[in-house]
Amino acid sequence: MGETIDKIKWLLTDKYANKALEEEIRDIEDLLSPGVSTCLGCGAEVGLRIALKIFGKNTILAIPPGCMGGVGVVGYGLTTGAKVPVFFPLLDNIASMLAGIKRQFNRKGEKVYVLAYAGDGGTADVGFQCLSGAAERDENIIYICYDNEGYMNTGIQRSGTTPYKAWTTTTPVGESRRGKPQVSKNMPLIMAMHEVPYVATASIAYLEDYATKLKKAAKVEDGLSYIHLFTPCPTGWRFSTDKTIEISRLAVETNFFPLWEAKYGKIRFTKKIWFKKPVKEYLKVVGKYSHLTEEEIEEIQKLVDERYDMLKSLAR
Amino acid sequence: MIKVVDGNQAAAFGAKLSKPDVIAAYPITPQTPLVEYVATMVARGELDAEMVEVESEHSALSVLHGAALAGARTFTATSSQGLSLMYEPYFRTSTLRLPVVMCIVTREMISPQSVWGGQQDAVTVRDAGWIQLYVENNQEVLDTVIQAYRLAEDKKVMLPVNVCLDGFYLSHMAEKVEIPEQDDVDRFLPPLKMDYIKLDPKEPISVDPLTPGGLLTHYRKKHMEGLENAKEVFEAVDRDFGEIFGRYYHGKIEPYRMDDAEIALVTMGSMSGTARVMVDKARERGVKVGFLKLKMFRPFPKEEFRELLEGIDVVGVIDRNVSFGFSSGTVFYELKSALMGHHEPLMASFIAGLGGMDITKGHVGTVIRFLEKIQQTKRVEKEVIWMDLEEEIWEKPLTR
Repeated sequence: MGETIDKIKWLLTDKYANKALEEEIRDIEDLLSPGVSTCLGCGAEVGLRIALKIFGKNTILAIPPGCMGGVGVVGYGLTTGAKVPVFFPLLDNIASMLAGIKRQFNRKGEKVYVLAYAGDGGTADVGFQCLSGAAERDENIIYICYDNEGYMNTGIQRSGTTPYKAWTTTTPVGESRRGKPQVSKNMPLIMAMHEVPYVATASIAYLEDYATKLKKAAKVEDGLSYIHLFTPCPTGWRFSTDKTIEISRLAVETNFFPLWEAKYGKIRFTKKIWFKKPVKEYLKVVGKYSHLTEEEIEEIQKLVDERYDMLKSLAR
Repeated sequence: MIKVVDGNQAAAFGAKLSKPDVIAAYPITPQTPLVEYVATMVARGELDAEMVEVESEHSALSVLHGAALAGARTFTATSSQGLSLMYEPYFRTSTLRLPVVMCIVTREMISPQSVWGGQQDAVTVRDAGWIQLYVENNQEVLDTVIQAYRLAEDKKVMLPVNVCLDGFYLSHMAEKVEIPEQDDVDRFLPPLKMDYIKLDPKEPISVDPLTPGGLLTHYRKKHMEGLENAKEVFEAVDRDFGEIFGRYYHGKIEPYRMDDAEIALVTMGSMSGTARVMVDKARERGVKVGFLKLKMFRPFPKEEFRELLEGIDVVGVIDRNVSFGFSSGTVFYELKSALMGHHEPLMASFIAGLGGMDITKGHVGTVIRFLEKIQQTKRVEKEVIWMDLEEEIWEKPLTR
């Protein structure tokens, strides 16, 4: 009986997301310039606007090279793209630069949110070493990785988080190779295994969940918090620009991108999927998977299930 | 207070007395004891600073970027491979105009595998916009670290400074060093105030946005002007230091017995001590030889060299490094190009002391003999001499 009520509640909350929260967020000042030149339907832009609304003006923002840097969040020439202090770290020293800033503010006895909004390349690939080091040293920084599953700013090249079989310009589809031959790096789980105070996955389709996680990250004072944000990219993934939120939601509903959080390595799901959809429903609407055969889709379904089961075995 | 300390410890004392806010460092031979000394000072509460034990040299300098942008006085140190791993943030430290002070405990670059001395590491990054100061002994290590902050933080300069001390020859050699009083250092070195570039929610600005070429060109020119200003500012810093602490180092270049000299040696780093002794010996033989200890390698003191070498017949430069592609020692060719169009003495390049090889009295003595021969014949038959390979130039055969 209790389960049935939960299922009904789940259906309702998903359809009619938390209106009050949406309105609350809508009314907070937008600290990002309306003039940033993201592609139509950009998932990462939505994620950044919401994050800045939650953290507010007492924030120092790092925008490494990538989509958000390229579209002008840090600014151009003598202009700026944000109403908070914002800077370009190097692609591979994001967490270290943040650590230095935070240490000095701690020394001065001033509280400030030191926040990175970094792509998956700067996070899972070239900047991974310094992020791992900062996590291990319990640097009190907030790190959001907007995962659009590849180097989208430089024109859709594969990254460590590009999923299995996905098409990119460096994992093309041809006679002898069919997209990326390897599975994606499980970045959020790797961060959780650092046993830092807070790690979470989040989706722009689940605003309440994302906002709650941002607020939890903001409260952390004894180490690093990391949010892995799923941000579909219409340009790089090949889908219509009005489908970004829908696709984000499908990724969660198919367990392709489950929503969970981990405190000091202890994992807990934050969005239970009562009616799991087959991953095919997700793959068929994303152009970068349009070459997949039924067998390949089956294979991906198996991988998604295995990864989910592994996560479940770790969760409590 | 007088103590017997090695070069790494002298550098640590210099850093401590300069009261840095944030220190980040990663251990590498021969710099490792320097990190240990500083970490110990922090652990004992003798040095009130944030100590960040980073996972790489790349992060060491990157942490300091963040800290400096938040207003911190910063310190780090590295060597060789660590410096080359740092190269990406290294270039950016100077182009962001952050007054970081970093000791380079100079070491050979691999390959072949070597952990021993040589100035190849520091010399190779010469065009990355930093100020580089090379020192002769451990007292000078300590004093120059303190001076480096005054220089770096001068509003006319605002550039990072390397204090380069020879790996092992200074870093691991203990000698008598006077440790200055904190009050005197405080009088010499006012607290840092970052005015132009900073990250602070109270005054939000964008740091380093995408920059069009015209504006970038403007920044490059300003950066060069900052480096040029450093030449003048350093003279004043050194003089002020001399007044307070009683030790004056003659600024960018120290001339030794140059007044009536006809032959000049040019040296950089710890080999200068040996050169001092051998110049005295040659003088006893009646040779009119002096030497110039080059302290400020970056910016290169062109004007002073032109003045100091006016009327000199022969100049020999001993380099503990090589310039691949120019096929001589680095200081040699830079000096040669600085003198072009002015008084141009006959010049020879001597490469010595690579990979931890000693530069002995025998080396310097032989160099002086060689320069005497050039003066007599008025000819440079061989411009580049590899001191440890070309035994035929030695006055007495090498005994290795």
